[in-house]
Amino acid sequence: MQIDPEKCIGCEVCHPYCTVGAIHSVKKEGGEDLISVVDQDECVECGVCHRANICPTEAIYPVELKWPRSVRGVFSDPLTVHKDTGIAGRGTEEMKTNDVTGRIRRGHAGVAIELGRPGVGTRFRDVDIMAQAVAKAGAVFEPKNPVTFLMADKSTGKIREDILNEKALSAIIECGVEIDKLENLLSVIKATAPKLDTVFSLDLICKVGEKGEMETLPIAQKAGFTPRPNTKNNIGFGRPLAKEE
Amino acid sequence: MTHTLHRQGDTRSLQEDYVVLIMPAQGVNVPGSDEKLKKLWEIFSRYNVVNFGNGNYNKFTLSLEDLKKKRSMIGHAVFKDKETLAQFIKELQQAELGLSTVLSGLYDEVQGCCGRLGIKLHTVEHSLGIHGNTKKLPPENVLEIHTMCGHALIPPHLIEAMAGEVKKGKKTAEAAAAELGRHCTCGIFNPYRAAKLLEKMASV
Repeated sequence: MQIDPEKCIGCEVCHPYCTVGAIHSVKKEGGEDLISVVDQDECVECGVCHRANICPTEAIYPVELKWPRSVRGVFSDPLTVHKDTGIAGRGTEEMKTNDVTGRIRRGHAGVAIELGRPGVGTRFRDVDIMAQAVAKAGAVFEPKNPVTFLMADKSTGKIREDILNEKALSAIIECGVEIDKLENLLSVIKATAPKLDTVFSLDLICKVGEKGEMETLPIAQKAGFTPRPNTKNNIGFGRPLAKEE
Repeated sequence: MTHTLHRQGDTRSLQEDYVVLIMPAQGVNVPGSDEKLKKLWEIFSRYNVVNFGNGNYNKFTLSLEDLKKKRSMIGHAVFKDKETLAQFIKELQQAELGLSTVLSGLYDEVQGCCGRLGIKLHTVEHSLGIHGNTKKLPPENVLEIHTMCGHALIPPHLIEAMAGEVKKGKKTAEAAAAELGRHCTCGIFNPYRAAKLLEKMASV
Protein backbone atom coordinates (compact mmCIF):
# COMPACT_ATOMS: atom_id res chain seq x y z
CA MET A 1 0.00 0.00 0.00
CA GLN A 2 1.16 3.51 -0.70
CA ILE A 3 0.18 7.05 0.28
CA ASP A 4 0.42 9.77 -2.37
CA PRO A 5 2.66 12.48 -0.83
CA GLU A 6 1.07 15.12 -3.04
CA LYS A 7 -2.42 14.30 -1.78
CA CYS A 8 -1.66 13.56 1.89
CA ILE A 9 -2.48 16.44 4.25
CA GLY A 10 -0.88 14.83 7.30
CA CYS A 11 -4.12 14.47 9.28
CA GLU A 12 -3.03 11.02 10.60
CA VAL A 13 -6.60 9.69 10.47
CA CYS A 14 -5.28 6.55 8.74
CA HIS A 15 -2.68 5.66 11.39
CA PRO A 16 -4.88 3.52 13.67
CA TYR A 17 -6.32 1.70 10.64
CA CYS A 18 -3.05 -0.13 10.00
CA THR A 19 -3.20 -3.70 11.30
CA VAL A 20 0.54 -3.75 12.01
CA GLY A 21 1.22 -0.10 12.90
CA ALA A 22 3.19 0.52 9.71
CA ILE A 23 1.86 4.02 8.97
CA HIS A 24 3.71 6.95 10.52
CA SER A 25 4.43 10.63 9.90
CA VAL A 26 7.52 12.12 8.29
CA LYS A 27 8.47 15.62 7.19
CA LYS A 28 7.46 16.30 3.63
CA GLU A 29 10.46 16.59 1.34
CA GLY A 30 11.78 20.15 1.27
CA GLY A 31 9.46 21.43 4.01
CA GLU A 32 8.30 21.26 7.60
CA ASP A 33 4.79 19.87 6.97
CA LEU A 34 4.15 16.33 8.10
CA ILE A 35 2.73 13.69 5.82
CA SER A 36 1.94 10.02 6.42
CA VAL A 37 3.94 7.20 4.87
CA VAL A 38 3.64 3.42 4.85
CA ASP A 39 6.73 1.56 6.03
CA GLN A 40 7.03 -0.84 3.10
CA ASP A 41 9.08 -3.36 5.04
CA GLU A 42 6.44 -3.64 7.76
CA CYS A 43 3.30 -3.32 5.60
CA VAL A 44 1.60 -6.70 5.13
CA GLU A 45 -0.68 -5.57 2.27
CA CYS A 46 -3.87 -6.48 4.14
CA GLY A 47 -5.77 -3.65 2.41
CA VAL A 48 -7.62 -2.52 5.54
CA CYS A 49 -6.44 1.13 5.39
CA HIS A 50 -7.58 1.41 1.77
CA ARG A 51 -10.91 -0.39 2.16
CA ALA A 52 -11.69 1.66 5.26
CA ASN A 53 -12.16 4.65 2.95
CA ILE A 54 -11.22 7.11 5.69
CA CYS A 55 -8.66 9.28 3.89
CA PRO A 56 -10.21 12.72 3.31
CA THR A 57 -8.10 13.25 0.19
CA GLU A 58 -8.10 9.65 -1.10
CA ALA A 59 -4.33 9.58 -0.86
CA ILE A 60 -4.12 5.86 0.03
CA TYR A 61 -3.80 3.60 -2.97
CA PRO A 62 -2.90 -0.04 -3.64
CA VAL A 63 -0.13 -0.98 -6.06
CA GLU A 64 0.21 -4.14 -8.09
CA LEU A 65 2.12 -6.67 -6.02
CA LYS A 66 4.80 -8.65 -7.77
CA TRP A 67 6.55 -11.77 -6.58
CA PRO A 68 7.73 -12.22 -3.86
CA ARG A 69 5.85 -9.29 -2.29
CA SER A 70 2.59 -10.75 -3.59
CA VAL A 71 2.69 -13.41 -0.86
CA ARG A 72 2.03 -10.62 1.65
CA GLY A 73 -1.33 -9.90 0.05
CA VAL A 74 -2.48 -13.49 -0.21
CA PHE A 75 -1.60 -14.26 3.41
CA SER A 76 -2.97 -11.00 4.80
CA ASP A 77 -5.94 -9.94 2.70
CA PRO A 78 -8.67 -12.61 2.60
CA LEU A 79 -10.14 -10.92 -0.47
CA THR A 80 -6.96 -11.53 -2.49
CA VAL A 81 -6.62 -14.42 -4.90
CA HIS A 82 -3.00 -15.35 -5.43
CA LYS A 83 -2.06 -15.06 -9.12
CA ASP A 84 1.11 -17.11 -8.69
CA THR A 85 -0.26 -19.93 -6.57
CA GLY A 86 -3.89 -19.89 -7.67
CA ILE A 87 -4.85 -20.33 -4.02
CA ALA A 88 -6.97 -17.81 -2.10
CA GLY A 89 -6.82 -17.26 1.64
CA ARG A 90 -4.55 -18.60 4.34
CA GLY A 91 -5.82 -22.09 4.94
CA THR A 92 -7.98 -24.94 3.74
CA GLU A 93 -11.32 -26.51 4.57
CA GLU A 94 -9.54 -28.66 7.19
CA MET A 95 -12.04 -29.79 9.88
CA LYS A 96 -14.80 -27.54 8.59
CA THR A 97 -15.88 -30.15 6.06
CA ASN A 98 -14.38 -33.20 7.75
CA ASP A 99 -17.80 -34.83 8.00
CA VAL A 100 -17.87 -35.27 4.21
CA THR A 101 -14.16 -35.33 3.32
CA GLY A 102 -12.91 -37.58 6.12
CA ARG A 103 -9.51 -35.87 5.98
CA ILE A 104 -8.93 -36.28 9.69
CA ARG A 105 -9.78 -39.78 10.93
CA ARG A 106 -9.63 -41.66 14.19
CA GLY A 107 -6.05 -42.57 14.98
CA HIS A 108 -4.82 -39.34 13.42
CA ALA A 109 -4.60 -35.76 14.61
CA GLY A 110 -4.72 -32.53 12.65
CA VAL A 111 -2.40 -29.79 13.85
CA ALA A 112 -2.38 -26.16 12.77
CA ILE A 113 0.27 -23.67 13.80
CA GLU A 114 -0.81 -20.16 12.86
CA LEU A 115 2.23 -17.92 13.07
CA GLY A 116 1.75 -14.19 13.57
CA ARG A 117 -1.68 -14.50 15.07
CA PRO A 118 -2.97 -12.72 17.01
CA GLY A 119 -2.02 -9.11 16.39
CA VAL A 120 1.70 -9.47 15.66
CA GLY A 121 2.29 -10.68 12.09
CA THR A 122 5.05 -12.98 10.95
CA ARG A 123 8.05 -13.12 8.64
CA PHE A 124 8.30 -16.29 6.61
CA ARG A 125 11.68 -17.01 8.19
CA ASP A 126 9.77 -17.83 11.39
CA VAL A 127 7.41 -20.03 9.39
CA ASP A 128 10.49 -21.77 8.01
CA ILE A 129 11.91 -22.44 11.48
CA MET A 130 8.69 -24.01 12.73
CA ALA A 131 7.95 -25.95 9.53
CA GLN A 132 11.39 -27.56 9.51
CA ALA A 133 11.07 -28.47 13.18
CA VAL A 134 7.69 -30.21 12.82
CA ALA A 135 8.80 -32.02 9.65
CA LYS A 136 11.59 -33.66 11.65
CA ALA A 137 8.93 -34.81 14.15
CA GLY A 138 7.08 -36.74 11.46
CA ALA A 139 4.40 -34.20 10.55
CA VAL A 140 2.92 -34.56 7.08
CA PHE A 141 2.04 -31.22 5.52
CA GLU A 142 -1.42 -30.64 4.07
CA PRO A 143 -0.81 -30.43 0.29
CA LYS A 144 -3.58 -27.90 -0.37
CA ASN A 145 -2.39 -25.44 2.28
CA PRO A 146 -0.79 -22.23 0.88
CA VAL A 147 2.25 -22.51 3.17
CA THR A 148 2.92 -26.04 1.90
CA PHE A 149 2.82 -24.62 -1.62
CA LEU A 150 5.66 -22.24 -0.66
CA MET A 151 7.94 -25.01 0.55
CA ALA A 152 11.06 -25.70 -1.50
CA ASP A 153 11.06 -29.19 0.00
CA LYS A 154 7.85 -30.60 1.40
CA SER A 155 9.64 -33.44 3.18
CA THR A 156 11.85 -31.07 5.23
CA GLY A 157 9.46 -28.13 5.50
CA LYS A 158 12.07 -25.78 4.02
CA ILE A 159 10.43 -22.57 2.80
CA ARG A 160 11.78 -21.12 -0.44
CA GLU A 161 14.59 -18.62 0.13
CA ASP A 162 13.16 -15.71 -1.84
CA ILE A 163 10.22 -15.17 0.49
CA LEU A 164 11.85 -15.60 3.90
CA ASN A 165 11.87 -11.85 4.63
CA GLU A 166 8.29 -11.31 3.47
CA LYS A 167 5.83 -10.43 6.19
CA ALA A 168 2.17 -11.41 6.54
CA LEU A 169 -0.60 -10.99 9.10
CA SER A 170 -0.44 -14.72 9.64
CA ALA A 171 0.54 -17.98 7.95
CA ILE A 172 -0.76 -21.39 8.90
CA ILE A 173 1.36 -24.52 8.92
CA GLU A 174 -1.20 -27.28 8.57
CA CYS A 175 -0.19 -30.86 9.11
CA GLY A 176 -1.33 -34.26 10.18
CA VAL A 177 0.28 -36.89 12.33
CA GLU A 178 -0.49 -40.39 13.54
CA ILE A 179 -1.77 -40.33 17.09
CA ASP A 180 1.27 -42.15 18.49
CA LYS A 181 3.52 -39.37 17.19
CA LEU A 182 1.40 -36.51 18.51
CA GLU A 183 2.99 -36.10 21.93
CA ASN A 184 6.45 -35.80 20.42
CA LEU A 185 5.19 -33.36 17.79
CA LEU A 186 3.61 -31.14 20.44
CA SER A 187 6.82 -31.26 22.48
CA VAL A 188 8.81 -30.19 19.42
CA ILE A 189 6.42 -27.28 18.84
CA LYS A 190 6.83 -26.23 22.46
CA ALA A 191 10.63 -26.43 22.23
CA THR A 192 10.67 -24.40 18.99
CA ALA A 193 8.52 -21.56 20.37
CA PRO A 194 11.40 -19.66 22.07
CA LYS A 195 13.32 -19.58 18.77
CA LEU A 196 10.67 -17.43 17.10
CA ASP A 197 10.44 -13.67 16.82
CA THR A 198 6.65 -13.89 16.62
CA VAL A 199 3.71 -15.58 18.30
CA PHE A 200 1.58 -18.46 17.13
CA SER A 201 -1.84 -19.86 17.89
CA LEU A 202 -1.92 -23.63 18.13
CA ASP A 203 -4.84 -25.87 17.10
CA LEU A 204 -5.46 -29.56 17.56
CA ILE A 205 -8.13 -31.38 15.57
CA CYS A 206 -9.63 -34.78 16.24
CA LYS A 207 -12.45 -36.91 14.96
CA VAL A 208 -14.76 -37.58 17.90
CA GLY A 209 -15.28 -41.21 18.92
CA GLU A 210 -18.63 -43.01 19.13
CA LYS A 211 -18.91 -42.31 22.85
CA GLY A 212 -17.78 -38.70 22.53
CA GLU A 213 -14.14 -39.44 23.36
CA MET A 214 -11.40 -37.22 21.98
CA GLU A 215 -8.16 -39.16 21.88
CA THR A 216 -5.99 -36.09 21.32
CA LEU A 217 -6.92 -34.27 24.53
CA PRO A 218 -5.03 -36.36 27.12
CA ILE A 219 -2.00 -36.31 24.83
CA ALA A 220 -2.07 -32.51 24.62
CA GLN A 221 -2.33 -32.28 28.39
CA LYS A 222 0.54 -34.74 28.82
CA ALA A 223 2.64 -32.56 26.51
CA GLY A 224 1.98 -29.61 28.81
CA PHE A 225 -0.78 -27.79 26.93
CA THR A 226 -4.03 -26.61 28.48
CA PRO A 227 -6.86 -26.51 25.94
CA ARG A 228 -8.98 -23.36 26.04
CA PRO A 229 -12.69 -23.74 26.90
CA ASN A 230 -13.92 -22.57 23.49
CA THR A 231 -13.69 -24.93 20.55
CA LYS A 232 -14.67 -25.30 16.92
CA ASN A 233 -17.14 -28.13 16.43
CA ASN A 234 -18.21 -29.82 13.21
CA ILE A 235 -21.69 -31.18 14.01
CA GLY A 236 -21.93 -33.66 11.13
CA PHE A 237 -24.67 -32.07 9.01
CA GLY A 238 -22.79 -32.47 5.71
CA ARG A 239 -23.91 -35.05 3.15
CA PRO A 240 -22.84 -37.52 1.95
CA LEU A 241 -21.02 -38.45 5.13
CA ALA A 242 -17.45 -39.70 4.70
CA LYS A 243 -17.16 -43.42 5.21
CA GLU A 244 -15.04 -44.63 8.11
CA GLU A 245 -12.02 -46.67 7.08
CA MET B 1 -8.89 -21.98 8.63
CA THR B 2 -9.01 -21.66 12.39
CA HIS B 3 -10.53 -18.22 12.04
CA THR B 4 -13.45 -18.78 14.41
CA LEU B 5 -11.20 -20.39 17.03
CA HIS B 6 -8.86 -18.60 19.46
CA ARG B 7 -11.36 -15.98 20.63
CA GLN B 8 -9.95 -14.62 23.86
CA GLY B 9 -11.84 -13.61 26.98
CA ASP B 10 -13.31 -15.01 30.15
CA THR B 11 -16.04 -17.63 30.22
CA ARG B 12 -18.76 -15.14 31.12
CA SER B 13 -17.97 -13.00 28.09
CA LEU B 14 -17.66 -16.00 25.78
CA GLN B 15 -21.12 -17.14 26.87
CA GLU B 16 -22.37 -14.37 24.58
CA ASP B 17 -20.39 -15.42 21.53
CA TYR B 18 -21.26 -18.29 19.17
CA VAL B 19 -20.23 -18.43 15.53
CA VAL B 20 -21.93 -20.61 12.95
CA LEU B 21 -20.12 -21.50 9.71
CA ILE B 22 -21.81 -23.44 6.92
CA MET B 23 -20.20 -24.52 3.66
CA PRO B 24 -19.98 -27.25 1.03
CA ALA B 25 -16.81 -29.28 0.48
CA GLN B 26 -14.84 -28.74 -2.72
CA GLY B 27 -15.10 -31.76 -4.95
CA VAL B 28 -17.90 -33.33 -2.94
CA ASN B 29 -21.13 -31.33 -2.63
CA VAL B 30 -20.56 -27.93 -4.20
CA PRO B 31 -23.10 -28.35 -7.05
CA GLY B 32 -26.41 -26.88 -5.86
CA SER B 33 -24.90 -25.42 -2.72
CA ASP B 34 -25.59 -21.85 -3.85
CA GLU B 35 -29.33 -22.45 -3.64
CA LYS B 36 -28.91 -24.15 -0.28
CA LEU B 37 -27.01 -21.15 1.02
CA LYS B 38 -29.85 -18.91 -0.16
CA LYS B 39 -32.14 -21.02 2.05
CA LEU B 40 -29.65 -20.55 4.84
CA TRP B 41 -29.91 -16.75 4.62
CA GLU B 42 -33.68 -17.16 4.87
CA ILE B 43 -33.27 -19.19 8.03
CA PHE B 44 -30.78 -16.72 9.51
CA SER B 45 -33.22 -13.88 8.84
CA ARG B 46 -35.70 -15.45 11.28
CA TYR B 47 -33.25 -15.18 14.18
CA ASN B 48 -31.64 -12.37 16.08
CA VAL B 49 -28.13 -12.80 14.70
CA VAL B 50 -25.72 -10.04 15.69
CA ASN B 51 -23.64 -10.41 12.53
CA PHE B 52 -23.58 -12.42 9.32
CA GLY B 53 -21.48 -12.68 6.20
CA ASN B 54 -20.29 -14.69 3.24
CA GLY B 55 -16.57 -13.91 3.29
CA ASN B 56 -16.93 -10.82 1.12
CA TYR B 57 -19.76 -8.95 2.82
CA ASN B 58 -20.93 -8.62 6.40
CA LYS B 59 -23.76 -6.96 8.32
CA PHE B 60 -22.01 -3.58 8.11
CA THR B 61 -21.43 -3.63 4.37
CA LEU B 62 -24.56 -5.33 3.00
CA SER B 63 -28.10 -6.05 4.18
CA LEU B 64 -29.23 -9.64 4.60
CA GLU B 65 -31.80 -9.04 1.84
CA ASP B 66 -29.06 -7.99 -0.57
CA LEU B 67 -26.77 -10.79 0.57
CA LYS B 68 -29.46 -13.29 -0.48
CA LYS B 69 -29.01 -12.07 -4.06
CA LYS B 70 -25.25 -12.70 -4.05
CA ARG B 71 -23.61 -16.00 -4.95
CA SER B 72 -22.10 -17.41 -1.78
CA MET B 73 -19.80 -20.32 -1.08
CA ILE B 74 -19.93 -19.96 2.69
CA GLY B 75 -22.33 -18.61 5.27
CA HIS B 76 -21.47 -17.21 8.69
CA ALA B 77 -23.59 -15.83 11.50
CA VAL B 78 -22.95 -14.83 15.09
CA PHE B 79 -25.35 -15.50 17.95
CA LYS B 80 -25.17 -13.86 21.35
CA ASP B 81 -27.02 -16.50 23.36
CA LYS B 82 -27.17 -20.27 23.42
CA GLU B 83 -30.99 -20.38 23.52
CA THR B 84 -31.33 -18.70 20.13
CA LEU B 85 -28.45 -20.81 18.82
CA ALA B 86 -30.29 -23.97 19.89
CA GLN B 87 -33.49 -22.88 18.12
CA PHE B 88 -31.52 -22.13 14.99
CA ILE B 89 -29.71 -25.49 15.04
CA LYS B 90 -33.02 -27.29 15.44
CA GLU B 91 -34.44 -25.54 12.38
CA LEU B 92 -31.22 -26.14 10.42
CA GLN B 93 -31.36 -29.84 11.31
CA GLN B 94 -34.92 -30.04 9.99
CA ALA B 95 -33.97 -28.14 6.81
CA GLU B 96 -31.47 -30.91 5.89
CA LEU B 97 -29.35 -28.68 3.69
CA GLY B 98 -26.58 -31.29 3.67
CA LEU B 99 -23.84 -28.70 4.12
CA SER B 100 -21.03 -28.99 6.65
CA THR B 101 -21.83 -26.99 9.76
CA VAL B 102 -19.37 -25.76 12.35
CA LEU B 103 -20.33 -24.21 15.68
CA SER B 104 -17.63 -22.28 17.49
CA GLY B 105 -18.00 -21.33 21.12
CA LEU B 106 -17.64 -22.66 24.63
CA TYR B 107 -17.39 -26.43 24.29
CA ASP B 108 -19.67 -27.22 27.21
CA GLU B 109 -22.39 -24.92 25.89
CA VAL B 110 -22.18 -26.12 22.28
CA GLN B 111 -21.97 -29.78 23.27
CA GLY B 112 -24.91 -29.33 25.64
CA CYS B 113 -26.98 -27.59 22.98
CA CYS B 114 -26.27 -30.34 20.43
CA GLY B 115 -26.73 -33.12 22.95
CA ARG B 116 -30.24 -31.93 23.80
CA LEU B 117 -31.09 -32.12 20.10
CA GLY B 118 -29.60 -35.60 19.75
CA ILE B 119 -26.70 -34.32 17.65
CA LYS B 120 -23.27 -35.92 18.11
CA LEU B 121 -20.20 -33.79 17.48
CA HIS B 122 -18.28 -35.16 14.50
CA THR B 123 -14.92 -33.38 14.72
CA VAL B 124 -13.58 -30.98 17.33
CA GLU B 125 -10.78 -28.44 17.02
CA HIS B 126 -9.20 -27.28 20.27
CA SER B 127 -7.18 -24.15 20.81
CA LEU B 128 -4.00 -24.95 22.70
CA GLY B 129 -3.33 -21.28 23.30
CA ILE B 130 -0.89 -18.61 22.14
CA HIS B 131 2.85 -19.26 22.30
CA GLY B 132 6.17 -17.88 21.09
CA ASN B 133 7.31 -14.31 21.65
CA THR B 134 4.22 -13.29 23.61
CA LYS B 135 5.89 -10.05 24.73
CA LYS B 136 4.89 -8.70 21.32
CA LEU B 137 1.17 -9.29 21.89
CA PRO B 138 -1.23 -6.38 22.18
CA PRO B 139 -2.80 -5.89 25.65
CA GLU B 140 -5.27 -8.54 26.77
CA ASN B 141 -8.34 -6.28 26.59
CA VAL B 142 -7.42 -5.39 23.00
CA LEU B 143 -6.94 -9.06 22.13
CA GLU B 144 -10.43 -9.91 23.37
CA ILE B 145 -11.84 -7.73 20.58
CA HIS B 146 -9.10 -8.30 18.00
CA THR B 147 -9.49 -12.11 18.05
CA MET B 148 -13.14 -11.84 17.03
CA CYS B 149 -11.84 -11.41 13.48
CA GLY B 150 -9.87 -14.55 12.71
CA HIS B 151 -8.08 -12.91 9.79
CA ALA B 152 -6.71 -10.27 12.20
CA LEU B 153 -8.24 -7.41 10.21
CA ILE B 154 -9.37 -5.40 13.24
CA PRO B 155 -6.33 -3.18 13.86
CA PRO B 156 -5.25 -3.22 17.54
CA HIS B 157 -4.58 0.54 17.44
CA LEU B 158 -8.07 1.14 16.08
CA ILE B 159 -9.55 -0.79 19.01
CA GLU B 160 -7.67 1.47 21.42
CA ALA B 161 -8.73 4.55 19.43
CA MET B 162 -12.39 3.47 19.51
CA ALA B 163 -12.23 2.84 23.26
CA GLY B 164 -10.84 6.38 23.55
CA GLU B 165 -13.73 7.77 21.50
CA VAL B 166 -16.20 6.00 23.78
CA LYS B 167 -14.42 7.33 26.86
CA LYS B 168 -14.57 10.89 25.52
CA GLY B 169 -18.26 10.50 24.69
CA LYS B 170 -17.59 11.06 20.99
CA LYS B 171 -19.03 7.68 20.03
CA THR B 172 -21.43 5.23 21.59
CA ALA B 173 -19.98 1.80 22.30
CA GLU B 174 -22.30 0.38 19.63
CA ALA B 175 -21.07 2.86 16.99
CA ALA B 176 -17.47 2.14 17.93
CA ALA B 177 -18.09 -1.62 17.66
CA ALA B 178 -19.66 -1.10 14.23
CA GLU B 179 -16.62 0.87 13.07
CA LEU B 180 -14.45 -2.08 14.09
CA GLY B 181 -16.80 -4.77 12.77
CA ARG B 182 -16.94 -3.52 9.20
CA HIS B 183 -13.33 -4.59 8.61
CA CYS B 184 -14.05 -8.25 9.38
CA THR B 185 -15.04 -9.31 5.89
CA CYS B 186 -16.27 -12.75 6.94
CA GLY B 187 -18.93 -11.36 9.28
CA ILE B 188 -17.81 -13.40 12.30
CA PHE B 189 -17.10 -10.34 14.49
CA ASN B 190 -19.50 -10.04 17.43
CA PRO B 191 -20.42 -6.34 17.74
CA TYR B 192 -22.72 -6.99 20.71
CA ARG B 193 -19.88 -8.43 22.77
CA ALA B 194 -17.42 -5.88 21.39
CA ALA B 195 -19.59 -2.97 22.56
CA LYS B 196 -19.57 -4.39 26.08
CA LEU B 197 -15.80 -4.85 26.00
CA LEU B 198 -15.29 -1.30 24.66
CA GLU B 199 -17.41 0.10 27.48
CA LYS B 200 -15.27 -1.83 29.92
CA MET B 201 -12.08 -0.44 28.33
CA ALA B 202 -13.52 3.09 28.39
CA SER B 203 -14.42 2.87 32.06
CA VAL B 204 -10.79 2.36 33.11
